[in-house]
Amino acid sequence: MTTAFTTAPTAIPAAPRTRWRGTGFGTQVLVLTQRSLRALVSDPRMIVFSVLQPLVMLTLFSQIFSSIANTPGFPQGVAYIDFLMPAILVNTAMQAALQAGVGLVTDMKNGVLARFRSLPIRLGSVLVARSLSDLVRTAAQLLLMLLFAVLVFGFAPAGGIAGTAAALALALAVGWGLGWIFLAIASWLRNAELMQTVGFLAMFPLMFASSAYVPVSGLPGWLQAVAEVNPLTYAVDAARALALAHPVTGVVGALGTTTVLAAVGWVLAVRGFRRPLSP
Amino acid sequence: MNDFMIEATDVGKAFGAQKALDGVSVAVPRGTVLGLLGHNGAGKTTLVNVLTTMLPPDSGSARVAGFDVVGQAHQVRSRIGLTGQFAAVDEQLSGLDNLVLIARLLGAGPREARARAAELLELFGLRDAAKRPSRTYSGGMRRRLDLAASLVGHPEVIFLDEPTTGLDPASRLGLWEIVQGLVTDGTTVLLTTQYLDEADRLADSITVLAAGRVVASGTSAELKAQVGQRTVTVTMATAADATTALGALERAGMHPVHDAAHHALTAPVTSSRELAVVVRALDEVGLEAAELALGEPTLDDVYLTLAQHAA
Repeated sequence: MTTAFTTAPTAIPAAPRTRWRGTGFGTQVLVLTQRSLRALVSDPRMIVFSVLQPLVMLTLFSQIFSSIANTPGFPQGVAYIDFLMPAILVNTAMQAALQAGVGLVTDMKNGVLARFRSLPIRLGSVLVARSLSDLVRTAAQLLLMLLFAVLVFGFAPAGGIAGTAAALALALAVGWGLGWIFLAIASWLRNAELMQTVGFLAMFPLMFASSAYVPVSGLPGWLQAVAEVNPLTYAVDAARALALAHPVTGVVGALGTTTVLAAVGWVLAVRGFRRPLSP
Repeated sequence: MNDFMIEATDVGKAFGAQKALDGVSVAVPRGTVLGLLGHNGAGKTTLVNVLTTMLPPDSGSARVAGFDVVGQAHQVRSRIGLTGQFAAVDEQLSGLDNLVLIARLLGAGPREARARAAELLELFGLRDAAKRPSRTYSGGMRRRLDLAASLVGHPEVIFLDEPTTGLDPASRLGLWEIVQGLVTDGTTVLLTTQYLDEADRLADSITVLAAGRVVASGTSAELKAQVGQRTVTVTMATAADATTALGALERAGMHPVHDAAHHALTAPVTSSRELAVVVRALDEVGLEAAELALGEPTLDDVYLTLAQHAA
């Protein structure tokens, strides 16, 4: 790199002819969300790769466990794919929530966050922007998965498009709320590997000890007890009820829990995020 | 309000038991450059972090552009530019998008932001690379983009933390010219550096930090005078000889600095008669210098003498 600066120093228009006086929280969030989405648009492979894992799960489970549909306790007249898909949506949204945390840690390694701290902006806007752009990314991911499920596995739940859309929205909402918890963890831990480990340890058992893949009544006794108190069971049940046009009970509970998670996560995340970057 | 654009009073900052800053005071008049010299770990970056509102001081106070860095951090942030040791740019975004982003966050409309970004890219010789992701930039280009990013909001005070580390000589000269241009236009600059020629060339006054304390401050000329008129450098044939010679010279009342890599010892002297002291001291331990040189003081001597002795 030998290119020198091109202009003589006297050409610098440094006099503050128009000093910008900062901008509102809304604009900050908008500009920062656009920034994150721009990275996504410039490299859409990220979305494609991020759906690979859930697609593999979808393929394996729909084939391996399809005989579960014939067992007693399984809802009558429901295809396994229709039973499975809402759970996959919730699961994928959970993974995406974890990714929001990992993304924040990665962002903290990116030098630009240091610059944001030296600007007259509210740091909370960086977190909100992260959360919003992840919501968009997750929505794209879930739509891609749904498309795949419909085309390849014949996903056609009784709830139709409206029910599926409602299940999708619920999964997104739950994932978004949980995302704030991971944003909080990320802003305190600040370590991507640790985040992945914590996330995996938390999510993997939660996913399986729930109603996600088999009806709770089909689980061994002790696991049933776990599944009964597992909040994920309620999220999955609610999404499934919406998609299958069953009587819906858990939606308010799921959204309420999500709101609480988001609120707690927000408070902790902002506090953690404000701590200086260097020790 | 007096016309100090940077004013730190007795600033202290500790990380655990480690005192990074131990009562540091600096004052920088408007439109001047303060050069902050010191080893790694002397506290330069910590002071910059305190002055740029990144870190709250444990004790003392600091005002930048007339505003308190703790109580009025927002006002300070809207008047400063910061270029740290690591390029604070978004590697995913192009150079253009990086600068537009900063301008938008500072309150510029989309068109204003683009105009300002284009202006700075031109100035920093990045126009041709404007639309490329900044991760494809060379180290030098990235640092220039970083400096451009810190200038987006027409800051009144600019903090440059080792801005030319890792730059090739041409880019370094270019950056110096830019800084001089900014100062001509009334911007105040605080520059940390390990390069003495950089401080000598750019700084109106120099503060030397060692172990979190100010060990000297003044103009380059004052500091040189403070350290003494001349230095003597003794180069020995082997490392062992150099170590022996170090002891001998210290017993003779001198305070040499040991450059182990070159088996060389450098000490300030007040008159050429002290050359005889050196020769006698070496003679007593049965050594002969491979090379004996009398040097006029440079800022390097100032730095070595002050920083190394205090550390």
